[in-house]
Amino acid sequence: MDDVLLSVSDFVALTNQTLEFAYPSVSVVGEVSEYRISQGKWVSFKLKDAGAVINCFAGVYQVRTPLEDGMKVVVVAAPRLNPKGYFNLNVRTVKPVGEGSIKKGLELLRAKLETEGLFAPERKRSLPRIPQRVAVVTSTESAAYADFTRIINERWGGLDVQVAHTQVQGDPAADQIIRAIEFLNQQEPLAEVLVIIRGGGSAEDLSTFNDEPLARAIAASRIPTMVGVGHEIDHSLADMVSDVRAATPTHAAEMLVPDRDAIVRSVRQQASSAGQLLLQAVEHYQVRLRGELFGITERLDERMARTQALLASTRSVLAELNPATVLERGYAILRGNAVIGQTIEIETLTKQIEAEVRHVRQR
Amino acid sequence: MSDKDKTIQQKMTDLQELVSWFQGEDFSLEQAVTKFREAETAAESIEADLTALKNDITIIKRRFDKEA
Repeated sequence: MDDVLLSVSDFVALTNQTLEFAYPSVSVVGEVSEYRISQGKWVSFKLKDAGAVINCFAGVYQVRTPLEDGMKVVVVAAPRLNPKGYFNLNVRTVKPVGEGSIKKGLELLRAKLETEGLFAPERKRSLPRIPQRVAVVTSTESAAYADFTRIINERWGGLDVQVAHTQVQGDPAADQIIRAIEFLNQQEPLAEVLVIIRGGGSAEDLSTFNDEPLARAIAASRIPTMVGVGHEIDHSLADMVSDVRAATPTHAAEMLVPDRDAIVRSVRQQASSAGQLLLQAVEHYQVRLRGELFGITERLDERMARTQALLASTRSVLAELNPATVLERGYAILRGNAVIGQTIEIETLTKQIEAEVRHVRQR
Repeated sequence: MSDKDKTIQQKMTDLQELVSWFQGEDFSLEQAVTKFREAETAAESIEADLTALKNDITIIKRRFDKEA
């Protein structure tokens, strides 16, 4: 190459061709410093270790976890010499590594989504008690999917379930799940519930469900969402933004549909309660009728008693007025005119007397 | 809508309304026996539907590993 004279631009182009051939993609681990976002579109930072530092450059959409200076990350990138003479790593993906940095990245993202109100309880939509159309996003090769379908089949019938098969771990998983969510949200008729499930796994396996674009896709879903990822103790941003969090895929199936045996018991109970209410109503009417009859009898008895009392009192008055009663008390009845020389009749209880009036004195 | 066109949810709602009727102001003894028979029929119909219905699970053919 000594005898080939290259322009600066040619040299830069040749270097980039060589780099592209030799290192189409490199994974470099280091600590983030001088992290900046420009115009809301571009991200630049330096990746360093104890002995070296290198510039990194990315589009905002390529950085799926918020970063901060001091975080340890793995950058998957293409090395490039830019026309201004700077050597860069053009970042394809960047992920925190090490427990501290992963935790920090997650905290930053959680705080960011919380500030935007994506976890707010008032955003949560309720799911229909008995859905008819259900969309599921999962790996159909997983035990979690097998458990989920077994349980919904045991518990309920008549569901129209559309299943989108995606990876549920590894780098491509989040984008696949996002595409599936978007696809299902464009279908007509729209499903009534969108269920995203994945069985248990390591923190690394489950980290797909802490992906920012995935969390946003779940939050933006027109279809109410239920997320059941991992085990009871696993919490992800995906289930925090979902409308309903299920602790596990099995729990998601149990929450999605009622248990038909319980429903059968409930409807039998309801029909039986209608019968009970009918019997109660008949009893109530009988009691009321008896009460009314008793009231009528009582009123008749009262009236009869009052009449009898009145009759007795009238009899008593009549008895007092009876002349024989007066005669019994020693009085006498006098008939005729009290004129001297006239004869008058005197009636006592036992005698009828005729007498002559001999003397009359005015009182 | 005839009974056979109703969903289980609709039938359950009907049953609940029938039971509520017994506790409501519209209750009359004259209609109570008919309503009770309707409730029994609804319960039997729901039970029959629940036993007979199977889920229809379809795996979507579209692949999500690439942009459509």
